[in-house]
Amino acid sequence: MSQLVPLPIVLPLLGAALSVVFGRWHGFQRLVGVVCLSTSLVISIVLLVAADDTGFVVAQGGGWPAPIGISLVVDRLSAIMLVVSAIMLLAVLVYAIGQGEVERVHAGFHPTYLVLAAGVAASLLTGDLFNLFVSFEMMLAASYVLITMGGRAAQVRSGMTYVVISLVASTFFIIVLALIYSATGTINLADLSERIPELSGEVQLMFAIALLVVFGIKAGLFPLFFWLPDSYPTAPAPVTAIFAGLLTKVGVYAIIRTQTLMFPIDARPATLILVVAALTMTVGVFGAIAQDDVKRILSFHIVSQIGYMIFALGLFTVAGVAAAVFYTFNNIILKTNLLLVAGLVERRGGSSRLSEVGGMVRTAPLLGLLFALPALSLAGLPPFGGFVAKFAVFDAGAWSEQWVLVGVAAFVSLLTMYSMTKIWAGAFWGEREEEPSGRPEPGGRLGGPVLMVGSTAAVVLVGLAVMIWAAPLYAFTERAAVDLLDPSRYVEAVLGERP
Amino acid sequence: MFVLLALHLLIGVGIVASGDRLGRRAFAVAALAPLATVVWAITQADAVLDGRPVVVEVTWVEQLGLGLDLRLDAFGLAMVALVSGIGFLVCVYAVGYFSHPKQGTARLAGLMTLFAGAMLGVVMADHLLALFVAWELTSVTSYLLIGNDDRSPRARAAALQAILITGTGGLVMLVGIIAVGHTAGTYRISELLADPPSGGVISGGLVCILIGAFTKSAQAPFGSWLPGAMVAPTPISAYLHSATMVKAGVYLVARLSPIFATTGNWRLLVLVVGATTMIIGGLRALRQYDLKLLLAYGTVSQLGFLMLLFGTGQYQIAQAGVALLLAHGAFKAALFMVVGMVDHEVGTRDIRELHGFGSAWSPTLVVGVLGAASMAGLPPLFGFIAKEKALDGYVEHGDFIGSGAIVIVIVIGSILTFAYSARFVLGLFGVFGTDDADPRSRAAHAPSVLFLAPAAVLTVSTVAAGLAPVLVDRLVRASTLALQPGVTPSPVELWAGFNTALVLSLIVISTGLVLTAYRVPLGRLQRRASDAISWIPSAEQGFLACLRGMTDGSKRVTALVQNGSLPIYLAVIVTVAAVAPLIPAVSVFPSLPKLIDAPIQIPLGILVVVAALGAAVVRRRIAAALMLGAVGYGMAGLFIVQGAPDLALTQLVIETLATVLFVLVLRFLPTKWADRSPAIARPIRIGVSTLAGVSVFVMALVSSAARDDVAAPNISEEMIARSAPDAKGNNVVNVILVDFRGLDTLGEITVLLVAAVGAVALARTGRRRLIPGRREQGHARPDQGAGS
Repeated sequence: MSQLVPLPIVLPLLGAALSVVFGRWHGFQRLVGVVCLSTSLVISIVLLVAADDTGFVVAQGGGWPAPIGISLVVDRLSAIMLVVSAIMLLAVLVYAIGQGEVERVHAGFHPTYLVLAAGVAASLLTGDLFNLFVSFEMMLAASYVLITMGGRAAQVRSGMTYVVISLVASTFFIIVLALIYSATGTINLADLSERIPELSGEVQLMFAIALLVVFGIKAGLFPLFFWLPDSYPTAPAPVTAIFAGLLTKVGVYAIIRTQTLMFPIDARPATLILVVAALTMTVGVFGAIAQDDVKRILSFHIVSQIGYMIFALGLFTVAGVAAAVFYTFNNIILKTNLLLVAGLVERRGGSSRLSEVGGMVRTAPLLGLLFALPALSLAGLPPFGGFVAKFAVFDAGAWSEQWVLVGVAAFVSLLTMYSMTKIWAGAFWGEREEEPSGRPEPGGRLGGPVLMVGSTAAVVLVGLAVMIWAAPLYAFTERAAVDLLDPSRYVEAVLGERP
Repeated sequence: MFVLLALHLLIGVGIVASGDRLGRRAFAVAALAPLATVVWAITQADAVLDGRPVVVEVTWVEQLGLGLDLRLDAFGLAMVALVSGIGFLVCVYAVGYFSHPKQGTARLAGLMTLFAGAMLGVVMADHLLALFVAWELTSVTSYLLIGNDDRSPRARAAALQAILITGTGGLVMLVGIIAVGHTAGTYRISELLADPPSGGVISGGLVCILIGAFTKSAQAPFGSWLPGAMVAPTPISAYLHSATMVKAGVYLVARLSPIFATTGNWRLLVLVVGATTMIIGGLRALRQYDLKLLLAYGTVSQLGFLMLLFGTGQYQIAQAGVALLLAHGAFKAALFMVVGMVDHEVGTRDIRELHGFGSAWSPTLVVGVLGAASMAGLPPLFGFIAKEKALDGYVEHGDFIGSGAIVIVIVIGSILTFAYSARFVLGLFGVFGTDDADPRSRAAHAPSVLFLAPAAVLTVSTVAAGLAPVLVDRLVRASTLALQPGVTPSPVELWAGFNTALVLSLIVISTGLVLTAYRVPLGRLQRRASDAISWIPSAEQGFLACLRGMTDGSKRVTALVQNGSLPIYLAVIVTVAAVAPLIPAVSVFPSLPKLIDAPIQIPLGILVVVAALGAAVVRRRIAAALMLGAVGYGMAGLFIVQGAPDLALTQLVIETLATVLFVLVLRFLPTKWADRSPAIARPIRIGVSTLAGVSVFVMALVSSAARDDVAAPNISEEMIARSAPDAKGNNVVNVILVDFRGLDTLGEITVLLVAAVGAVALARTGRRRLIPGRREQGHARPDQGAGS
């Protein structure tokens, strides 16, 4: 089984290489992309089953025993994230092929997208802090390219913001990495989990906060999120969708992983995390309310919902961490979904500004449905998956008697509902108030090209599946949370039995 | 029961999916769902009324306590009679009402069926969270129904107001439910009833739950959405906003009062809010000229009345509540239907434009008059019985503080109810018709039999239940028992003997008659009084102010936080990154270690520092690039001193390459930077940079000093040891790069590849001269809170 572990990284990289070499044959590129990502998905599912069976599947890079080599570790958290991101990567690729804009114009799209896929998988799988840095770099380098690929002036300008801030974050990451190595003499996560508790409490806290800041920039925590709503909305639609769905959540994953695995319970900055969570939730949703553009509204919601995940994590209870994991993977699905719909709305209406589109419930009713289901879920309305996720967060907060935060989360959830109704009323009800800046494209009965609508619908169905199988999924995240809160099992799986 | 709910879902989704193909026939299809429910309920009625509820236990997410348990007891049955009985009649009525279906009419039928299913869920749920799930679904479907005529800005605004207010209530309620459920250890209503919990958290949670119930049932001060919701077509108003959905809050209070009436401030809160709502609603109803709004405010008033009856926790009073619930459902739905018929045939609902009707309208008018009479509480109608029971319950059994005051409130509220009922009837007969309005109502075509039939059925039931209360006696008594097991409800009678309640009823009727007789001067008086207090903001204004405050506040916060300036973002991020980890580090700052190993480090250090400062200061691009190169060479020198020739070599190569590339590229750019930032920026930049430098310095010292705390050796030692024997390589750096950590190298190579792809892509774009954006999206839009 452990031979399979590197494949979700290696396969897309191989695909990327083929895609570069045969860049002139567009059909071949598409085939390679779809085949690679489908195979990755299958492998991820196999790994998920295996990880849930045994707890951990570990592969040691180059066969060198940890901590000399690089460990790749599949536990329940990384497995569920891997599967969900594989589904999203595949769906968005199909959507991009259906859209045929950036994907058709640039021969570089496919290889870059596959490197992004590899980077995401590597970030989720790695059990090594330096390799995590490298994985992030792969992911980020690909994202720098993708975000500017449309080549429009606005894209290049906002891409600039994104690139500069990401580079600063990377610099800070490498500094912290060096500091941690200088203090402990290792960079293997499992090894760090054993060595860090030997440090004094202050130094532990210093590292915990430093890593929180590093990944907080990536995840979009307050007050580090500014780059996100400015840069995501301008990218090509499929790129925005996959960024919104995955990249910030990989940051959240890194926060969950490092905080639980590397630091003992009393060295985790729990109170800081909770305060940051509350601010992230509220400031993010305020930002969303102030917008008039579907993609910008949704981008601000990314930030706001990161707050929920961090809130649940900051409780550091089984219920809390389970809720964080559940919320995270569910949010990946919803966010990707909504931005895919936003892309369809933009295509059909010629604009993503609410004042320039309207009445789509009549002209493109299917898009209305594809938007309504994830939007209700995102707003946490029952009985959708988003409600279960939100309820799990509230419930965890109640167990820890964090009533203030539960209240804040409820307030934010109300504002989220408000801004969803705003999109609904603006894009699907009423008439357009201004002429669209772009050219509306007729969508036929479906509201768009078959592949675009089909892949969006597939993601909607995945979201509904979360609702239907909420119980087994929650049970799974609970098991994941138990593992996360007891790092000794991870350590043992990676380093082997210790005397 | 689940099959019934699924049937609603299926039919509802089916109709919505069919688009406009079905037209008004959609309502005929929609009628199937409530019809099936009624038939099923009749088959279960006997057992349920005997106290054997139908129970279905369904778990959803067991670990979270999220269950969907259903339980149909006698009170649930009474609600099902309202929801599905009236639901069926409204569907039939709607077939007549939508004689000229427009685009979207069929969707109304589908959404209404979905709503009916959700509402059934509310009244059948035995689990507070299941109730919440259904409750929110009613809010969403109500939103879609109110806003269905989506081209009308009024409809959209009303829909938004409805969902925001009920949605707020719903969320507050969710928090309350979680608080109660956590403390009690169960979310099952039947289990809570068996073993009532108490405590501080419970009291707080209950207030939250009550807020949810108040918003849903349009209680003061949350009632402003209900009159707005009247923009929906009349069948929808009759169904959702009088007979069913607005009863959900009352229903919840009825369910929980026997458990919690004496806990915390439950009873006080319910009574104060209910009393206020009853009076204000009645006063407002008296001022309306639109028949539908008159009924809407009347509904608000009656909902307040119902709160007063259910909120006490006394079964004798709650029994009256059950009776009133049924009576109100019957007469109010019939009255709405009458208004809908008038609107449909005459084209107006304004009583100033009605001048009486032709003789063909007599049956319709009879329905209207009987309905209004029941509303006014005139014998021998069902409404009278319910009100008698209410007054009797309060007078005889109201043994808590304030019950006397509530009796007075009920009497005043009932007088107002009498008065607006009279206004309704007089308006219907054209008494308010003004001379300048076109008297078209006289010539209006009378509604067809099918159109009238549903209202007639309701009226017949109102009369029948009034004349023969025995028809509803069993249901009312069993419902009371279901709410509060083990009590002995009294029989429901038309003639309960000479008692205080009867005297009060007579007072109500006579005062009501006086008010009606002197309606003109009293109306003037009321107008003047309301003008005098017009400075007090109404709930509607309050809502709008909140909404505006929220959006304005959001815009302000966002404009502040999200100002679109990269330098500011960077300054904040770098400051946070520098300061946050520093705080715990400062307290363990070690004594300065020996900073200089070899004398050669001094000039190298100075070179690096000066070159770095120079790069930041100079204005010429070439000079800055060269300075950066100098920093790199200085670092390489330090590496050599430290005994790392491989590293130094790499560094030298990279620096050389980078500097050459810089110089080549910079030919294409202006030679100097134009610094357009304000003067204040410079000290801030210097400050932030210094802070970052100090922070890294401190953290580096702290980290290396902490190395002593960890006993285990560096992993590099084992790497060096195993390099030659196991990896067959003499240069450990190479072994690390290609073997031990080959995966990292693979990753970095990939990064290079991607960077190349990106550079090519951008360069191509550059050759095409940046395509001007379709429209600038990222920056400098004041309305988006981003101004660069």
